[in-house]
Parts: sequence; C-alpha cells; structure tokens
Amino acid sequence: MKRAFARSNDSLTALYEFAEDILEAGDVVDAARFAVHLALEELFVNMVKYNPDTKGDIDVEVTVEDKVTVTLTEYGAAEFDVTVPKNVDTNASLEERTPGGLGVYLIQNLTDSLDYQYSDGRSRVIFTKESGI
Amino acid sequence: MFDIQYDADGKVVCTGRLDAAQCAKGQAFMDEIAESSTLDFAQLEYISSAGLGILLKTQKRLAESGAALKIINVNNHIYDVFHYSGFHAIFDIKAK
Repeated sequence: MKRAFARSNDSLTALYEFAEDILEAGDVVDAARFAVHLALEELFVNMVKYNPDTKGDIDVEVTVEDKVTVTLTEYGAAEFDVTVPKNVDTNASLEERTPGGLGVYLIQNLTDSLDYQYSDGRSRVIFTKESGI
Repeated sequence: MFDIQYDADGKVVCTGRLDAAQCAKGQAFMDEIAESSTLDFAQLEYISSAGLGILLKTQKRLAESGAALKIINVNNHIYDVFHYSGFHAIFDIKAK
C-alpha cells in the first residue's frame, strides 16, 4: 500500500497509523513493528530536515509478504546516501557525547537490508525487516 | 500522542510515543528539571533518536551540577534502542 505524506514532522502520527495498520494486518511481531516504525520515522525526518527547500510530498509504500518492505521516495531532493556507514562511538563518555547522529546509525542497525537509489533528483530509500511471522 | 508530567511521588511519568513531532513538548518539560530525577517509562511505548537527543542533552546539563536522570520501567524495545545507542553506559536504566 502506498500513500503520499506532507513534508512535515506533523505527518508523523498519520505515518505511524498508516504503517501500523498494514503491519497489524500482516501479523508482524511487535519487535519488528517497533524497528520498522523507528527506521521509517528516522528516514522520513531526515528527508524533511535535509531538503527544506523541496515542497513535494514524500511517497511511502509499506508491504508485508515474507518480510516487511518499506520504500520512501522524494523528488527534487539533494543526494543523501543513508547506507554510507555511520560511525557513532557508543562507548563515548557522557562528556564526549553530543546530541545528533544517532538516527542513521539506528536505521543501519535495526534494518535487515538498506538500499539507496538516486537519479535526476529522485531520492529513494528501501529497507526490509523480517516480519517474524 | 505523548504526555509528560510529575506523579504524586515526584517521578516524571512519560506516556505514549516520543517522536520528532513531540520533541518540543518533551524538551520544554525537561529544561525545567534542575535536580536528579526519575523518569518512569512504564507507559512510554516508543522513542526515536529525537527523544534520545532530549535525554542526552538533559543528562549532560544535569551532570554539570552533579545530578543525573534515572530511567525506570523501560520496555524491551526501548531498552534495545538504549543498548544500541550506548545509553546504558551513561544512564541508570531499569527494564520493566
């Protein structure tokens, strides 16, 4: 199922409800649902944050078959490859830690596969997660 | 929906989903905390990196005066996120 969402963090509740309905109907286990919601939010928020001059909606498609597949697509966006390894020192002390940078790190650790495609301003991220069915 | 408020025992009770859209509400409340405090996550279902940022920012600020946040009743999904993020080493965290 596919739906377009306005490019705003105000879309997050509707985005959650859209995905949750599909995951629930697909009997996806709780742990996988949590990971899918987290990766989906982080990717969506990144698209909103790093392309502030782009006005178009963000297309989101969620399917459940033998695994959950989520695709986010935006147009007129700058290239931002979320698959580039994000190094976060999770052993750093409190004094050394700075807020930020965890989003992409979590995406890369919580998804089973993560793919990025960019062509002519079309930016697309596809991730999968085992559904646990 | 996300809510944050003190309970009768002085614990900070967080409820619902702390996503990027709810950060301003969470940050405004946390900015008022001036001493060591316990956050009760029993009713918190979800947290994203935006929420983690609020916790980290507050912990760093409190540490300057020798205070700290303690987080209790953390569900297993959020606990995993804390673990991935290394927060278990910089917060006192108790699972549900």
